[in-house]
Amino acid sequence: MGRRKFIKTISSTLLGIAAPNILKVRPSLGKSEKTPNLEYRTLGKTGLKVTTVSMGVMNCSDPAVLLRAFDLGINFYDTADCYMRGHNEEMVGKAFEGKREKVFIQTKVHVHDEKKMRASVERSLRRLRTDYIDVLVWHGHSSPKEVSDPNLFEFMSKMKKEGKARFTGFSAHRNMASLLSEAAKSNFHDVALVSYNFTHSKDLKEAVALAAKSGIGIVAMKTQAGGYKKQRMGGLSPHQAALKYVLMDENVSCAVPGVTTIEQIEECAAAMGTSVSKGNLDELKQYQSFLRGRICTMCGGCIGECPYGVSRSDLLRVVMYHDGYENDSLVRELSQTITRQDIQRCSECPSCSVVCRRGLDMKAQIQRVQEFIVRSSPARRTGTLAGGESIAQG
Amino acid sequence: MGIFVCFGVSSEALPLESVIPKKDLPKEWTLIHGPQTYNKKTLFEHINGQAELFFKYGFQKSVFAIYQSKESRENQIELDIYDMGNVVQAFGIFSRFRNEDRPGGFGLDSYLDDHSALFYKGRYFVLLYAVESNPDLLRQFSKLVSLRISDPSTPPREISYFPKDGLKPGSIQYFPEGLLGHQFLKRGFQGTYVEKVEDKNKAKTEGKEFHLFIAIFKDSQEAVSALKVYKNDLSKKGKVLSGGFIQFGTAGLRGEDPYQGKVIVLQKGFYLLGAVGFEKEEEAENGLAEFVKNVK
Repeated sequence: MGRRKFIKTISSTLLGIAAPNILKVRPSLGKSEKTPNLEYRTLGKTGLKVTTVSMGVMNCSDPAVLLRAFDLGINFYDTADCYMRGHNEEMVGKAFEGKREKVFIQTKVHVHDEKKMRASVERSLRRLRTDYIDVLVWHGHSSPKEVSDPNLFEFMSKMKKEGKARFTGFSAHRNMASLLSEAAKSNFHDVALVSYNFTHSKDLKEAVALAAKSGIGIVAMKTQAGGYKKQRMGGLSPHQAALKYVLMDENVSCAVPGVTTIEQIEECAAAMGTSVSKGNLDELKQYQSFLRGRICTMCGGCIGECPYGVSRSDLLRVVMYHDGYENDSLVRELSQTITRQDIQRCSECPSCSVVCRRGLDMKAQIQRVQEFIVRSSPARRTGTLAGGESIAQG
Repeated sequence: MGIFVCFGVSSEALPLESVIPKKDLPKEWTLIHGPQTYNKKTLFEHINGQAELFFKYGFQKSVFAIYQSKESRENQIELDIYDMGNVVQAFGIFSRFRNEDRPGGFGLDSYLDDHSALFYKGRYFVLLYAVESNPDLLRQFSKLVSLRISDPSTPPREISYFPKDGLKPGSIQYFPEGLLGHQFLKRGFQGTYVEKVEDKNKAKTEGKEFHLFIAIFKDSQEAVSALKVYKNDLSKKGKVLSGGFIQFGTAGLRGEDPYQGKVIVLQKGFYLLGAVGFEKEEEAENGLAEFVKNVK
């Protein structure tokens, strides 16, 4: 299925998510496109018009990537007070000096006493070289109690009143559905930054919808979930497909994929303004099936199931690094941490009792891990690289 | 050779809990929390989204502990020890966290300020945070931890290739991917240099900053391919300039990057070495010449 065959209308839904009316005609998703067709959505009750593909800055190593993102038209950037002890905010501040009014900056603060939180916000302002933060979010809420804590709300209200933050919210890496549901009950939060991708449950989709309906702007992070490379699925780049999947949920205002290079931000930005045909929807469905059959999402569902105590997630990550990332060095590194004993136990076990909730064929996967480990590092077989009880010397 | 040189020999992992000092602590201090261990699955619970950055640097596991002063319950020190798999990655994460050159005299390299201390030793990256300002105490704790890490690894050899003249102390960083923001440069080290400027009285002052970098590839063929990709990228987005590289005796590229400024890149073995963002060609070329010479 070629990307040039995209047609302008979509009339069905993808995996239970209604396609937003924002999707437009665009002939190509290729990263060679230098000026993407920018898509904007309103970030909940903030009213900010943000580019649907925005940028997570945390892993970015060079300001050149930020400048490229800016030139591409991306206008929303997510950083945090603690990333690299403030270096990340400094990079954002330096890169956008003189461009401040053209970008929206989201940063974070941790729950402490007021004196410390205030000092943290002041530090962020200095590093970001600005006198206001567009969106200030609590970093990593994990319980509904935190989400509805009036004392925390009071601090954010002060930050707004003092002009230090325009809008406020929270971020979450776990228990997201319950946190969003709780947040939807109050008027405390303007924005929620949540991990959201094709591997997540229907519960989370419903909670996202509930929160969005209450006026909370949803910013999606970790949108790629270990997406596979282009060669693996015909026309559509898997990174773009993963982004499209998230953005087809019209309750999501924007996604902030964490990018490290110019090439990656170009690829992500090119996902904006694309239309998907029925054929492409099918392709996305296939893509999802493809990923679901291959990726260990670290859901934890199989923990403790192996009677021999073998950690399946580490073994299966080898498959993801090999097949998905095609990164031999990651395979090699991870292989060094896997013990010969674990591999032998798995490959010789006549009746594996571990059942994957996502349908991974555990036995087949473990056999592949064994193959990769033997194949990936000849040096290990001679015992020159690895130490301890690793497979090389075990 | 490349892989061996750059990742080094992975030393054997220590049981991390054993590295946490429990006895012979500084006077009036006691361990009140931990050791609490984290793995790839649980690190998010401890440091939220920043866990992703640690994963990029090869995070294996970590251990966390809190010490408290017997005189004041508020006065605490938090200690994190991260096993990053090898010394290059441990240096890498350390290099991304230190602010400037404020060595504390522990580990293979360290940073110390009023409230925090960080260092790397072998495959371990160590971070201490003090609620109340107390650099002397942080130094004491750091040395205690450092003594308990028996990893004999030496610093990544690439660090020693960087010319000393003009190098901003503490500025060398390691990136596991996307060096200079380019996918094709993959991983490598980057150091910041300051150009020398003469004022009216011919006194030397500091001028514009520029970078020297060393990108690391699997073999020389891969380095040559990356150089071609770089040239292609510059010809599309910036400028490729003419200019000889006779003085370097190696293949190279000269141009202008739209975001980085002037660029010179040279290939030597499985490395690409370069200078970016400079104004004074001569200074950058001299630095690069020494850089190339230093590469063994």
